[in-house]
Parts: sequence; structure tokens; C-alpha cells
Amino acid sequence: MGGASRNHKRRKQELSEQRLAAAGIRVPQKRTRSPMVVVAVVIVIAVVVGGAVLLARSFGATVEPTYTATADGAVITAGTGPKAIDIYEDYLCPSCERFEVRYGNEITTALNEGKISVRYHTIAILDEQSNPAGYSTRAGNAVLCSVPAGIFPRYHKKLFDEQPAEGSAGLSNEELIAFGTELGAQGDFAGCVQGNTHVDAMAKETEKATTDTALQTEGRFGTPTVAIDGTKIDLNDTSWLQNALG
Amino acid sequence: MNRARPLDVVGALARLGLAAVWLVSGLLKAMDPDQTYVAVRAYDVLPDAGVEVVAALLPWVELALGVLLLAGVGTRLVAALSAVLLVVFVAGVAQAWARGLSIDCGCFGGGGAVEPGETTYLQELLRDAGFLLMAGWLVVRPRTLLALDDRLGTRRMG
Repeated sequence: MGGASRNHKRRKQELSEQRLAAAGIRVPQKRTRSPMVVVAVVIVIAVVVGGAVLLARSFGATVEPTYTATADGAVITAGTGPKAIDIYEDYLCPSCERFEVRYGNEITTALNEGKISVRYHTIAILDEQSNPAGYSTRAGNAVLCSVPAGIFPRYHKKLFDEQPAEGSAGLSNEELIAFGTELGAQGDFAGCVQGNTHVDAMAKETEKATTDTALQTEGRFGTPTVAIDGTKIDLNDTSWLQNALG
Repeated sequence: MNRARPLDVVGALARLGLAAVWLVSGLLKAMDPDQTYVAVRAYDVLPDAGVEVVAALLPWVELALGVLLLAGVGTRLVAALSAVLLVVFVAGVAQAWARGLSIDCGCFGGGGAVEPGETTYLQELLRDAGFLLMAGWLVVRPRTLLALDDRLGTRRMG
């Protein structure tokens, strides 16, 4: 049907409606499906946008670490690059898991390329959030054990990949040991995990971190915390690492 | 002016109020996807892959409902979908409360574990009940002032 004849038809219809209205007759209205279509389209758009966000985040293979690490007390120094970055993590902390998912590859790449060195401060502030209490300390101790065992980078990532839920029992010592064995731990890794070897060093490091006002936001210390040259980094700025590298 | 007019005004307030709720909550969630993931995970109901999907889609679905309510398109359907989503939220908060988890609902950003003494489950449930009331009104009586439904939803017979 051409535009002209459609207009003609509409005009005729309007005229007839006006006559009916003048005679006091109301024209019944029929509901159409167009709102349903609009609703469906808008919701489909929302799902597609959300799906795109999801896909964008899950793409990208894991960067394999090639750097070495050493431990001193409860601080693990990874890589040897000139720019030193301090990272404070608790292995039960869900935001730390997100931090590792979001920045893990970027940090590993910078470490591999010798641009940065990272001091991982092994913190236990969420011991009370597992049942029984103490998972943060047990997991942190195991990660400190993984350094002399020669598997630190992969073990560190593994514990975040397998992070238990808050309120759960956490991974058992047997599971923590099994992950190490799986990754090729050398020496007495099991004895180190069972023996709570680094628990005192962790308590000291946690005390030091939580009382350092430079690491606090609104008077509270939380994990993850990143500091460069003693200044806390705002992680809302997702390009913090590029900025630090200049 | 007929008797239905004041009820249309009440309906419009419910519609725009609920639209504001979805737009604000959706925007805050969309702006901080990591926090949204942590909030969804804290309910401890879904496996990690499910948390990933819900955390990615939820903010945008909330924004979609907000935009549709703001425009007043398919008000009854969108209000019904809003009610369904709100019931899911109520169930999530109620199970967290019943299981003794200490979490923040993350309804308007934030979320995740909190200190055992800092939970506000009752307030969260009452607030959701208020939102459900608004959605319920619109399901029962979707006619509101200034809605696009008036233009889009009907066609003259003929």
C-alpha cells in the first residue's frame, strides 16, 4: 500500500471517528502487542550488554610466570624489577580474588619483563570468617611454604582460583599440601604446612600492616591494599599499574 | 476530570519511584563489577560460574527495568518482572539471615561479608517489601499518568 492511499485511509477514519464522537459514541480501542515487543527488545539488549561484559572478562589466557621469588618473614618478594610494589592480601578475601582475576595477568607480565618487583605481604585479617577460624593464617602459611618449594607464583594463583567461601571451613591442610604436590613442590612442603612454620611472622606482619596509617582508608585497613613508595593506590582507577610504570 | 485521575497519579509515583530504584541500583552495580561479583558470591548460593553470570547480567537487567518503567512501556509486564526479581532478592536475603551469614545485601552497590553485628537484614527486607508494594500496585492497576503505554499500547479499531 502506498503512502498516499494510507494517508487517505487514515483521514477517512478520523473523519468517521469525529462523526461518531459528535454522536456520543466512543470508539472501542484494541490493545496491541507493541509494548511487549519494546520490553522484550530492551531486556534482550541488557542481556547482550551484560553477556559482552562477561565475555570480555573471560577472554585472555593465563600468562605463565617466569620470575623467581624469595621470602623474608611473611613478605614474599617476586621478581627483580626496579619499580617496587607492595601488595597486601588475605587468602580468604573475596576482593583479593577479584583483584587477582582482574590484574593477575598484567602483574605477571610486568614481573616477567623485569619492569616491577612485587612485595606480597601475607596478611591474616579474616581468620574469624572461616569456621573453624584460622583459614587465612593456614593458607598464608602454605603460600610462604611454597616459596622455598619453588612453586610460589603458581601456588599463589592456585589458592585464589580455589578460594573457599567465607563462613566455610576453608581448604584443609591436606588439600593445601595436595595442591603443592600437584605443582611439583620440592623439599618438605608438607612439613612446613603442617608445622605452621610462618604463623608468628604473619601475625607480626598483619599487626604492622593494620596499624600503618598510610595503608588505611577512613581509618580502616582492608585487603587487597596496594602501595607504591609507601603511598596507598586507589584501585578504583583500573589503570593504576600502567600509571605507576609511567 | 474523572475519579480515576488521583489513582493515575499514585500509579505514576509508584512507577517513577520503582524506576528510580532500578536505575540507581543498576548503575551502582554496573560501575563496580568486581564489587558486584563479591556481593553476589557472598550469598553463597551459586557456583562460581553462576556468580559470574548473575553479577554480569544483573546490573543491566535492573537498568533495563528502570528505563522501561521510566518510559512507562508495558508497565504491567515490567512491574510483574520487577516483582519476580524482588522476590528473588527477598529469598536471597532471607536465606542469608536464616543460615546465619553476616553479609550486606549489596542492593545499592557495596555488599559482601560484614561483621556479625553489622547486618541489617530486617531493614533490607522491609525496604524490599516497600518496593514490592509499588510493583504490586502497578500489576493490579498499570494505568499511570505520563506513560508511553497511552500512545503505544492501544490502536483504534478499524
